[in-house]
Amino acid sequence: MKMLMTDKSDGTKEIQMDYTRLRVPFGPVHPALKEPISLRITARKEEILDVDIMLGHVHRGIEALAENRNLVQALYLVERICGICSHSHTTCFIQALEEIGEIKPSERALYLRTLIFELERMHSHLFLLGIMAYEVGFDTLFMFTWHVRENVLDLFEEITGNRVHHSMNTTGGVRWDLPPHIVGKVSASMTSIEKSVKYIYDVFQDKTVEKRLYGVGELNYSEARELCVVGPTARGSGVNMDVRRDYPYAAYGELKKGFSVVVRESADAYARTEVRILELFESINIIRTILDELPNGPISTEESVLKLMRIIPEGETVSMVEAPRGELLYFVKTNGKEGLWRLKVRTPTIPNVLGLKPMLIGCEIADIPVTVASIDPCMACANRITLVDPDKGEAKVTDVSTLRRRGRKQ
Amino acid sequence: MNTIVILLLAFPVVFFLSLLFEGIDRKVHARMQKRIGPPIIQPFYDFIKLFNKERIVPVTASSGIFTAVPIIAATASILGAAIPLASLILETGVGGDLILVLYLLVMSSVMVMVGGSSSGNPYGAIGFSRKMTMLIAYEVPMLISIVSVSLNCNSLAYYNVVSAQIMAKLLLAFTRPSMAVAAVTFLLCIPAAADAVPFDISEAKTEIIHGSLVEYGGPYLALIKLAKAASNFALTLLAATLFFYLPALFDGYVSLGLGAVFSSLVIALIFWLLTITVPRTIFARLKIGQAFKFYWLIPLPLSILSMALSTLGL
Repeated sequence: MKMLMTDKSDGTKEIQMDYTRLRVPFGPVHPALKEPISLRITARKEEILDVDIMLGHVHRGIEALAENRNLVQALYLVERICGICSHSHTTCFIQALEEIGEIKPSERALYLRTLIFELERMHSHLFLLGIMAYEVGFDTLFMFTWHVRENVLDLFEEITGNRVHHSMNTTGGVRWDLPPHIVGKVSASMTSIEKSVKYIYDVFQDKTVEKRLYGVGELNYSEARELCVVGPTARGSGVNMDVRRDYPYAAYGELKKGFSVVVRESADAYARTEVRILELFESINIIRTILDELPNGPISTEESVLKLMRIIPEGETVSMVEAPRGELLYFVKTNGKEGLWRLKVRTPTIPNVLGLKPMLIGCEIADIPVTVASIDPCMACANRITLVDPDKGEAKVTDVSTLRRRGRKQ
Repeated sequence: MNTIVILLLAFPVVFFLSLLFEGIDRKVHARMQKRIGPPIIQPFYDFIKLFNKERIVPVTASSGIFTAVPIIAATASILGAAIPLASLILETGVGGDLILVLYLLVMSSVMVMVGGSSSGNPYGAIGFSRKMTMLIAYEVPMLISIVSVSLNCNSLAYYNVVSAQIMAKLLLAFTRPSMAVAAVTFLLCIPAAADAVPFDISEAKTEIIHGSLVEYGGPYLALIKLAKAASNFALTLLAATLFFYLPALFDGYVSLGLGAVFSSLVIALIFWLLTITVPRTIFARLKIGQAFKFYWLIPLPLSILSMALSTLGL
């Protein structure tokens, strides 16, 4: 229902109701959403006419917090930006620090970073595939996929001691080595996971799943280029981009031949899902290559982390990695006194969430959860605070100290 | 005197059996997904817990309809399940009770739908329109299949259909081709009537937050859940006794006594597992258009075929 208010000449207001349109609030709290995002949807019957996207429900002020801490503390803080791609964030941050401080990690450390990176990609993609199955009402596939994901989490625990926040990276290397008995376990797990992923791929081609995903949420090539979407969302729309291949970091330069970039042209929710399933196989290949070619040597520098932190001079740089959801970009500016002048994080969800509008318009209400899930949004990574004054129509971005002051007042 | 006692006892028995069947359904569903699952009596715990909760009526709701609907829905579907159960035990029936049972079952779905739309929530309104579409899709073939059964047995009384099977010592679904087609149609309509995946479109959790149920909570929700369980129980009991009354195959039917009722309850449970639990485990949810197309392309022509065959006497 839409209300139109018109001012009459005699000063009274006349309200006209348009009963053919329905305003549906989708979020910030909705069972289909794992994190808060608010979509204001205008629909006629089941068809979506317009979408308004609103962010800002889970802002935590991490950038400002990082600027008040020293570099080692900031490393553990940026890990907390995301619970799924925590290793991507630390890798991206540590790469920037290493570039400014001209610290060169050993080959073995870079390979181990890559190993965790690919394991993380697997666990993130399996997570999303489970969510996709849940959104189309296929609970059994959801349970099965997450059961497979548990294997990856167990490997994390085996290697690093933690299932979610691995704390693997440190300045000039990694914190945990990969002893031979774990190598065997990882490769055995890869065999079993590969078998399960093949099965998952089969089930995703099931008739009822197919009916829900084919032709839903289309984002064509030109729109994808225009909105600068990244990662599997872009690759599902035929945009051939991958930071791992285009700007190699960690050990990806040496592993270039070990994987290919998966691109699909059909640009719908199924294409984005298929890209992720096929990337799982690529990740398994990369991990196998790493286990075979793991070079010998130390895993971190001799000097202590605190000492290294002190020698990092004033400087600035941009660092990029391919997180499971797409290109993750950090701008880091150090102050030469163990701290940061500025930290700027651009997570993949920020460009991807813009793609939602062209995807959703013209779809049915039943397609909203599938479409939203298909870009794998990670809201907590993406939120910035903007204060909006609805009366004046003004919007201004606020910083954390003002927010804190306001919080104390109330 | 005996009759009145049985009639009065039928209501608590239906209450108990339908929640028990739902518990078994949830357990089997969980085991098929490699989960441990809730205890079998979990629906009873849920019912008691919900009944002790606060009653909340949203300000946007028209409170009279909103609060009356769960009671009517639960009464209608328990009555709909109690009539066939009681007439099985009493081995008698009233003419026309078959139509009454079907009416009561539709009544409970319609009531839930109306309750959702009276809540003033946009999701309730979407749930209403989706359920309306589904009702048109599955209710027509379901009714036609039952009508062709009564044409075949020349009676609108539920127990006459059952006793015809006992006389012939044959399951109704295997007597004539028309009845086999009617049985298939009826079984195909059960998942939609039970709001089970792939046809749970009107209550899709991830799309429209349970649709009509979105504003219900506490005792009202408990009653609606009971209504759903009882109507599922009634549907599976009807399928098990109208088309596949297995005790009729035994030679000494009279000596079976209450055993006949128990065995048909077991068959009803098997039908519940086959038509509600299994589809809900192995399929993804369809969209409303796709589900509508399915019902008008397969069960509807099938039901018309069974009607045509039974008028021809096949």
